[in-house]
Amino acid sequence: MENNKNDKKSTNRRNFLKLGLLSSVTAVAGASLISNLAVQDEEVAESGEKMRLLTPDGKIVEVDATNVNQYPEALVTPEESREGIPNRKFVMVIDLAKCKNARKCVEGCQKAHKLDYNEEFMKVQLIQDNPEASPYWLPKPCFHCDEPPCVTVCPTGATFKREDNIVLVDNDRCIGCKFCITSCPYSARQFNWGHKEKFDDKSQPYSPETSVPAAEGTVMKCDFCPDMLRQGKLPHCATSCPMGVIYFGDKNEDIVTNGEETVRFSELIKDRGGYRHLEHLGTKPNVYYLPAVNRQFPLERGFDVEEDIIERYKDVPFVQDLKKQGKI
Amino acid sequence: MKSLNYKYTIITSLIIAFLFSFNLFAQEEDASNYRMRFNLKTIKQHDNSRLLEASFIGQNKKDRKDRIPVFDAEIAFYNGTDLLGIAKTSNEGIAQLIVPENQIYTTDEDGYINFIAKFEGSDGLDEEEDDIQVKDLFLELNLEEIDSVKTVLVTAFTIDSLGVKTPLEEADLIISINGMISKMILEEGTIEDGEFEFEFPTDIPGDANGDIMVYSIIEDNDDFGNLIQQKSINWGTFKTESVKDGNTLWSEAAPIWMYIVLTILLVGVWANYVYTAINLFKIKKEGQEIALAAEKELEQ
Amino acid sequence: MNLENRKRELAREFSPMLEKTTKTSKIWIGFLIAVILVGVYAFFVQLFKGHIVTGMRDNVVWGIYIINFIFFVCLSYSGAFISGVLHFFKTPWKNSVSRIVEIITVLSLIVGPIFILLCIGRLDRLHYLFIYPRIQSPITWDIIAIMTDLIGCFIYLYLTFIPDFAILRDHSENASKWRQKVYKYLAIGYQDTPTQREKLHKITRTMSAMVIALAIVAYSVLAWIFSLTLQPGWNSSIFAPYFIIAGLYSGISVIIIAMYLIRKYYHLEHYIRKVHFIGAGIVLLVISLLFGYFTFSEYFSRWFSHKLSDANLLNTLFTRYFWMFIFANYIGVLVPIAILFFKKLRTIKSITFAAVIAVIGLWFNRYLIVVPTLESPYLPIQDTREEFVHYTATWIEWSLSFAGVAAFILFFILIMKLVPVIPMSGIIDNEREQKKVKKSFKKIVTE
Repeated sequence: MENNKNDKKSTNRRNFLKLGLLSSVTAVAGASLISNLAVQDEEVAESGEKMRLLTPDGKIVEVDATNVNQYPEALVTPEESREGIPNRKFVMVIDLAKCKNARKCVEGCQKAHKLDYNEEFMKVQLIQDNPEASPYWLPKPCFHCDEPPCVTVCPTGATFKREDNIVLVDNDRCIGCKFCITSCPYSARQFNWGHKEKFDDKSQPYSPETSVPAAEGTVMKCDFCPDMLRQGKLPHCATSCPMGVIYFGDKNEDIVTNGEETVRFSELIKDRGGYRHLEHLGTKPNVYYLPAVNRQFPLERGFDVEEDIIERYKDVPFVQDLKKQGKI
Repeated sequence: MKSLNYKYTIITSLIIAFLFSFNLFAQEEDASNYRMRFNLKTIKQHDNSRLLEASFIGQNKKDRKDRIPVFDAEIAFYNGTDLLGIAKTSNEGIAQLIVPENQIYTTDEDGYINFIAKFEGSDGLDEEEDDIQVKDLFLELNLEEIDSVKTVLVTAFTIDSLGVKTPLEEADLIISINGMISKMILEEGTIEDGEFEFEFPTDIPGDANGDIMVYSIIEDNDDFGNLIQQKSINWGTFKTESVKDGNTLWSEAAPIWMYIVLTILLVGVWANYVYTAINLFKIKKEGQEIALAAEKELEQ
Repeated sequence: MNLENRKRELAREFSPMLEKTTKTSKIWIGFLIAVILVGVYAFFVQLFKGHIVTGMRDNVVWGIYIINFIFFVCLSYSGAFISGVLHFFKTPWKNSVSRIVEIITVLSLIVGPIFILLCIGRLDRLHYLFIYPRIQSPITWDIIAIMTDLIGCFIYLYLTFIPDFAILRDHSENASKWRQKVYKYLAIGYQDTPTQREKLHKITRTMSAMVIALAIVAYSVLAWIFSLTLQPGWNSSIFAPYFIIAGLYSGISVIIIAMYLIRKYYHLEHYIRKVHFIGAGIVLLVISLLFGYFTFSEYFSRWFSHKLSDANLLNTLFTRYFWMFIFANYIGVLVPIAILFFKKLRTIKSITFAAVIAVIGLWFNRYLIVVPTLESPYLPIQDTREEFVHYTATWIEWSLSFAGVAAFILFFILIMKLVPVIPMSGIIDNEREQKKVKKSFKKIVTE
C-alpha cells in the first residue's frame, strides 16, 4: 500500500518533469524530495561522482552523488525524447566579451555527461577573423541548427530535430556510419572509438536527453541538457561558467538567463549586435554570439591553463607569435 | 497520519543506515576547520502562508570558497517559545517549513513576530540558533487595464490588532515576470504611501496561451523580511506557431517528390528484372520440352 | 553438325584452363589466401577492440576504408558501364574482353561494400537501415543503388554465361561429376534453338541498357555522399560526372591490367591480341584526357575563387600532401596521356604500364578527396588532443585493404576455373556472323 502510494507520487512527478511544466519555484521545493527518494532506492550503483556533505554529527563525508542526486527519476526514454518540450524554442547566447577560456563550461559539461578529460562536447576555439583583428575565445557547443545537415544525412533517424529546437542523438539507434560527423560544418560531433568501462555503468538508464551512458561505436554531441531544462534549470555549461558568458532560454517567451541576470533575448541580440557563426552556410543555428567588444579580460588570460591545453592552440598564428615573443 | 509516520521512520532508518554505510569507506574528517553558517529567512508567499527557511552550511576558515552543506540535520522552528515545526536539511543544507495562513503568531508590543530556528547540537557540531523579527505586511497585486494601458498596481499595508489598515510608508519593490528558468525583472521601484504603479510592457510574449505570471516582490526588508505576491494574466503577445514543419530533409518523413522519384526508379528497374526472369523461365520451359521430345524419340 | 564439332573443339581447347591447376597458380592461391587470413585476423581485432585500432579519429572519421569503397564500387560501375556499352552497341572486338569486364564488375561490387561495412561502428545494428529507413539520406540511396545494381549485374552476368554453360554441359564428358551437374543446372535447358537464342539476345540487350543506366545513377549517388555535404572540398556540383569519369579511368585501367595478366598466364595470345590493347589504350587516352580536364576544373575553380575554406584546403594539399598531390594529379594523369598519345609508344607492355600508373594515381586522387578535406573543416581544428588532428592508416586498415585486393584476385581466379574467360558462345556467334557476311559477299560477287 505504502509502496504504491510512493510509486504514484514519483510517476506523477516524472510525468510532470516530462511535460517540462515545472516552474523554478517548485523545482527548488522539490530538491529535498529528490534526495529523500534517492535514499530510499536500494539499488543505487556508484557513479564515481563524489559529493561532500557534513553530517549532523559534524563529520565530513564524501558520498556518491547518485545517492543524493538522482537523475533517472525523470528518465525520458529514447522514444519519448523525440518529442520536444511543448511550446519551447531553446536558444543559447554566448557573450564573447566575457569569455577568458576559463574552461569551466567544458569541465561542467564533462562532469555532467561523464566525459573523459579529453572528450569535449563544448570546445573553446581561438578565432582571429583577419590578420588585423584581435583574436577572441569562442566557446563552441552544438549549434542545434534549424536546418541541420547532420539530421538530413542520418540513414536511420538516430539523430533528430525536435520541435523545441534541440537536436539529439539516440545512441540506441545509431549504427556508427559517421556520416553526420562529416556533414556537420561546425565539427560538433564526437565518436566513441573504443570501448570504455564507463559505458557498462547502467545505474543510470540511457536517455538521449542526458547522453549517458555513451556507447561504443556511436556518435555523441552537446545535447543542450534537456534533462535540466525539464527541471527548469540551466544547462551545465551555463551554470558552471563563472563569468556568466552563456545565456540560455526560450525564444518563444523571449527570455534568456545566465543564472545571474535574466534579459529579453531580442533586446540582447539587438543591443549587442548578436550574430550566428558561419551564417552563410544556411543551417540556421540556434546559438547566437555577442561580439567580443569592450572585453572584460585580456585575451592572454586564456592561456592561464595547463600546458597541454595551450598545446592545442599551437597551430594558431597568433599563438605562434606569442611563443616567439616568449610570452607563453 | 499513522502511515505517514511509518513512512518517515522507514526513511529515517534508511538514512541512518546509509550514513553509517558510507562512513565505513569515507575518509573521516571533522568540521573543526569549518565555521558554521546558520541563517534564518522568512518569505511570505502569495497565498499568505509563510515559508521559513534555515540554511546550514560549513565554510572553510581558510578557503572561503570551500562550503559544505550540512545534510539531514534536524532544525526546529519557533515563534517565540511556540514550536512551529521541525524540518531536516537537504543536501544543499536547507531546511524549509511552510506555516499556513491561519497560524496565529504571538507578537511583541510593536507588532513584530519573532521567529527562531534552532539546531540542537551534537557531538561534533555546536548548537546553532538564529532569529528574525518581522512585521506582518500585506501585499496586494492588481493587474488592470486603465484606458487600455496595461497597468500593474501594488498596494501594501499592515493591519493592527484592531483591524485598522495602515499603508506602508516606503519599501523597495521589484516587479518581475516568470520565465521558464528564472524570473525576469521588469522594474525596480519604491512603494510610497502604500502604493506603486507600473505600466506593463506591451510586447511580452508570455506562455503558449499568452498567460504571464506577474510577481511583486519585497526582498530582505528590515521590517518585513521577504514578501512575494503573484498573479497570472493574459497579457502576452505569444503567437502560437501552428505551422508545423512539413516534409523536409531533416524531418522524419521526406519531401513527397523524393518518394515518387525513388518509386518510379525502383519500379522501372525491378520491372525489367522481372521481365528478364520471365523470359528465362520461358527458355527453360522450351529446353525441357526439347529434352522430353528427345527422350521420347529415344524410347521410340 | 559442323557447329557441334566446333563447340566440342572449343570446349576441349578451354578445358585445361578450367580443370588443371598449375603449381604457380597453386602458390598464388595459397599466397592470396594467406593475405586474406591476415585481413580476417585484422577484422576480428577491429571487431573486438573497436575502431580505436584504426587511424580514424574525430576529425578524420573516414579513412582508407571509404577510399577503397569508392575505388571498388566505381570500378564495378565502370565495369557495368563498359560491358553494357560493349553489348548494346555490338562492339566488334567485344568478345575477348566482355567476360573479363563482367567478372570485374560483379567481384568489385562484392568486395567494395565490405569496406563500407568496416567503416560502420555498430555492425550489430546494420538491420536498422531497413527497420528505420530515412530516404533523405544519401547513404540510404547508396544502399538501394548498390543492392539493385548488384542484383542487376548478377542477372546480367548470368545471362551472358548461359550459352557457355550449355556448351560445357554438352561437351565436358571428361569433367568431374559435380562440374557436370553444376553446368547442367546453370544452363537451364538452353539448347541454342533459334527462339531461345532470340529471347536470350533480347533480354541481354535490355539488361545491358539497364546496367548502363544503373551505373550512371549509382555513380552519381556515390558522388553525392560527398558533394551533398557542406564540406569545402566536397561540396561541388561536378562531383557526379567527375566520379563517372574517374571510375571509368580506373575501370579501363584494371581491365587492361587483367587482360595483360590473363593473356600472359593462360597463353591466350590468340584471343587477346594487340588490337585489343590498342583499342582499350585509346579509350583510356580519351578518358584520361577527360579525367585530367575534370580534375583541373575542380581544383582550378577552387584556386581561382579562393574562398577561405577552399584556400585552406588547397594550402593543406600543397604542403602536407604535396608529393601525393603531384603523383595523383600530375603523374597519374600526364604519364598515361603521354604514353598513349604517341602511336609508337603504344605497345602491350607500355599500355599496361600506363594503366598501372593510372590505377595507383587514381587511388591517391581518392585519398586526397577524402582525407585532406576532413583535416581542414570550416572551423579550424583546435582544442583537440594532438593525436586526433591528422590521419595515418594503421596496419589493421592496410591489411584489410590488401585482403580486399587479394579477395578480388582470388575470386577472379576461381571464377575463371568455372567458365572460360573467353566466351565460347561469343566465338561461335562471331564465326556465324562472319560466314553470313562471306555468304552475302559471295552472293554479291556471283550476281
